[in-house]
Amino acid sequence: MGQAGRPALTLEAQERRFALVLLTPALAALLLTTTAPLVYLVWNSLHRLDLGMPWLSGFAGLGNYAKMGSDPRFWNSLLLTGVYTASTVVLQVVIGLCLALLVLQIPKGQGILRVAAILPIVLAPVVVGLFWRTLVLAPDFGLVDLVTRALGLGSHNWLGDPQLALISVIAIHTWQWTPFAFLVLLATLATLPPDVYEAARLDHAGAWQRFRHITLPLIRPAVVMVMILRMMTALSAFAAIFAATGGGPGSATEILNLYAYRTSFTELNLGYGASLAVVLLTITLAISYFMFRLRRARP
Amino acid sequence: MSSPGGVCIEGVVKRHGATTVLHGIDLTIEPGEFFVLLGPSGSGKTTTLRILAGLESVSSGRVLMDGADVTTQEPGARDVAMVFQSYALYPHMTVAQNIGFPLKMVGTNTAEIERAVAAAAAKVDIGHLLRRTPGQLSGGQQQRCALARAIVRQPRLFLLDEPLSNLDAKLRLETRLELHRLQRSLGATTVYVTHDQEEAMTLADRIAVFMDGRIVQVGTPREIYSKPQTIAVAGFIGTPPMNLMPGTWHGDAVTIAGHRLPLIRVTSIPREVMLGVRPGDLRIAPSGLKARVERVEDLGDSSIVTLMTGDRPLKLKGDRLQPVREGEDVFLGFAPEAAHLFDANSGARL
Amino acid sequence: MRRIVVATIAGAGLAVWAFPVIWGLLTSFKTERDVLAYPPVWLFKPTLDNYREVIFGASSIVPNLWSSFFVSTSATLLTMLFAVPASYALARLRYPAKRASGFYVLATQMLPPVGLIIPYYLVLQKIGALDTYAGLTVIYLTFSLPFAIWLMVSYFEDVPFEMEEAALLDRAGRLRALWYVILPQVHGGIAVTTIFVFLNAWNEFMFAVVLGGNRVRPVTVAMFNFISVEQTQWAKLAAGAMLAMAPVILIGIIAQRHIVKGLTVGAVKGGGRR
Repeated sequence: MGQAGRPALTLEAQERRFALVLLTPALAALLLTTTAPLVYLVWNSLHRLDLGMPWLSGFAGLGNYAKMGSDPRFWNSLLLTGVYTASTVVLQVVIGLCLALLVLQIPKGQGILRVAAILPIVLAPVVVGLFWRTLVLAPDFGLVDLVTRALGLGSHNWLGDPQLALISVIAIHTWQWTPFAFLVLLATLATLPPDVYEAARLDHAGAWQRFRHITLPLIRPAVVMVMILRMMTALSAFAAIFAATGGGPGSATEILNLYAYRTSFTELNLGYGASLAVVLLTITLAISYFMFRLRRARP
Repeated sequence: MSSPGGVCIEGVVKRHGATTVLHGIDLTIEPGEFFVLLGPSGSGKTTTLRILAGLESVSSGRVLMDGADVTTQEPGARDVAMVFQSYALYPHMTVAQNIGFPLKMVGTNTAEIERAVAAAAAKVDIGHLLRRTPGQLSGGQQQRCALARAIVRQPRLFLLDEPLSNLDAKLRLETRLELHRLQRSLGATTVYVTHDQEEAMTLADRIAVFMDGRIVQVGTPREIYSKPQTIAVAGFIGTPPMNLMPGTWHGDAVTIAGHRLPLIRVTSIPREVMLGVRPGDLRIAPSGLKARVERVEDLGDSSIVTLMTGDRPLKLKGDRLQPVREGEDVFLGFAPEAAHLFDANSGARL
Repeated sequence: MRRIVVATIAGAGLAVWAFPVIWGLLTSFKTERDVLAYPPVWLFKPTLDNYREVIFGASSIVPNLWSSFFVSTSATLLTMLFAVPASYALARLRYPAKRASGFYVLATQMLPPVGLIIPYYLVLQKIGALDTYAGLTVIYLTFSLPFAIWLMVSYFEDVPFEMEEAALLDRAGRLRALWYVILPQVHGGIAVTTIFVFLNAWNEFMFAVVLGGNRVRPVTVAMFNFISVEQTQWAKLAAGAMLAMAPVILIGIIAQRHIVKGLTVGAVKGGGRR
């Protein structure tokens, strides 16, 4: 480096060049696999592309989006998405936090509980969905039915009844992902200074107050991050619902995600499916932007 | 600069966005010299060191080593070794591997590496720790490992960035002596950064005092101590620091707070000055500057008396217990030739 | 007293989360008749027939296991190859548009897969890459790469920042500084990230079912072999699922400490800052 007659690169320039070399493969790959397809997606959403009736294909402008406005199935899917996302995330965080708080007090049991908690997370969502559909929620032989029959509550069609189906898929999702919240919050709680808890325990009268004013603020960053991550998963949840109900019965569990899929690959109406996907994408980006601002706004 | 191991910094300016960190630094360092860059935090001394190392670029100016312009040369090519404040030891390697790493990087053969590592380790007395990893060493041992890694390549320039600041006080004093001995035995040009003026005074052949991105004085420790060029330097060097009092100088005396104190130097025009007197030069006198004793600290072989004149604290250092009590009013005087005079506005030495 | 309550609740938690898996395991050793029996049969004669059928029989999922293995392994390798250098640059090097590039990586992670699958399907169909290993592997990069970069950045940031400088002064040069000094200090993070990427790839379903076909049919898709309109082959499904999930369960149990640490690092430290 720096021989006479050849202008040597300054240190900063060398660093920049090195960084560029390291980043290019990944950035190029990302551009290729995410940005370019996105552009194509939006382009498709502006067309009528029906594989079932190919003679109808052509430019449609914002026609697909206009159709959405008066499509009851679309609004239904939006509502379901909202209900699904909100309930699963809230349930996961609340249950996960409560469990973590409890488990914190029995240090000996933590090891085996951690292993048990890992299992649902590492399983494929599609397998979880199938499992629940067959072994857990099946009428008569499924686990849940065995329990309800033993308790005298009778047998129910957990996945076939429209109202119960939504509850069931929410339960499935919550079952699979609560351990995530549990594990992360447990680890976070374990790093809190112990004297905080000693103080909380000594003062029984103020125990709840201390929890609200000391523990909660301290774990807030972790909780928010867990919520963001879980929200992303809930918005793009597919495999488990597909396996358990396929979006049915009818459209009872058809969140926007599934509606877009069904429209594209079952009904082969790719143009409209693309526009639905664009809407979902926009919603997801908006929510994540909002959530990240929230996280950064409060120290 | 054509002597081997000599370093020259010419007109180096460093800007960081809109802020200027260094305002035109000029330095000449002789081969084999132990040169100290002294100054408070943020004064630019560490930036200068990193520029010498090649870890920072310059906005303008040149750096010369052995006469050659190395300003844009990358760190690895400069034949410079550095000991970081945090030591920057490689935690996943053993001490031996750490020390041998620079040799391995230039392709030295294994036998030669082993020999050189053993020699360097012996020089800093960690030969028995070669198999350990940095995580298993004490702070002092880590520092010596960092030193060994620096000396193993026999570079033409050593750079040390506050290497003693992470050690406890006693270890610091011991290591100071060892460092000096080591440098002398190696005869290598060394540039050393510190904010501890006592360290600088004991180790340096010459010191460059940095303030706010400028060099305010360069000289031997003795020169800096006895002839500080500015008020800032005067107040920085010495423990306890020099007493500084504003007053008016006319004729052959300076008037401070109404009291007239004789000097050696004479001026025809009265001017506003800052008078500087070292704590060791102040005396309790029958007449002179009026002050009240605030506190007497008995250090065993010496004592320090803190006094207040007006609203200004002064310190007096004597080698015996002073015959005063707290709350007493006394007069202070000093030998006229021990006075330092500085212009009250510019701060420059008169 | 309080301990008993806590222990009971914890025990109930354990039951809720572990029991379905255990129930599945038990079912895989039952005959189809035993599965459908009511009241449920607790003591039954275990049989390996289901596993035999699922491994060696007509409905063998062994080819699917191979499919999963090929796709997951190559996707993981490719991902790590791209992600590790990129995260290093993002975490520790200075270059223009750094914040923008960090934000870009983060944004790509937010994309719901259904948004990408439509263009993927159309493009792959046009270039005839549907139902190919190459096609599917590259597509898997979509969700693996941003996640891997995001996770590795946290680990790279943990290395004290003067390491490169010391290595540069030791005449290592940037590339060797990365290889000899920085990478060894993050090998824990690399291991965790690799595990996560592999798990996600193995468990992927939507891309596999839409973009795969008869030749490339990962095990997640093969699960549906046991379900048809007429009947569900309960026990075989259980056996198939156990087999399909065996690798990830094993990894989960062996590497559970790493996994938990990875989850926490990703959740608490990373993401919000870039």
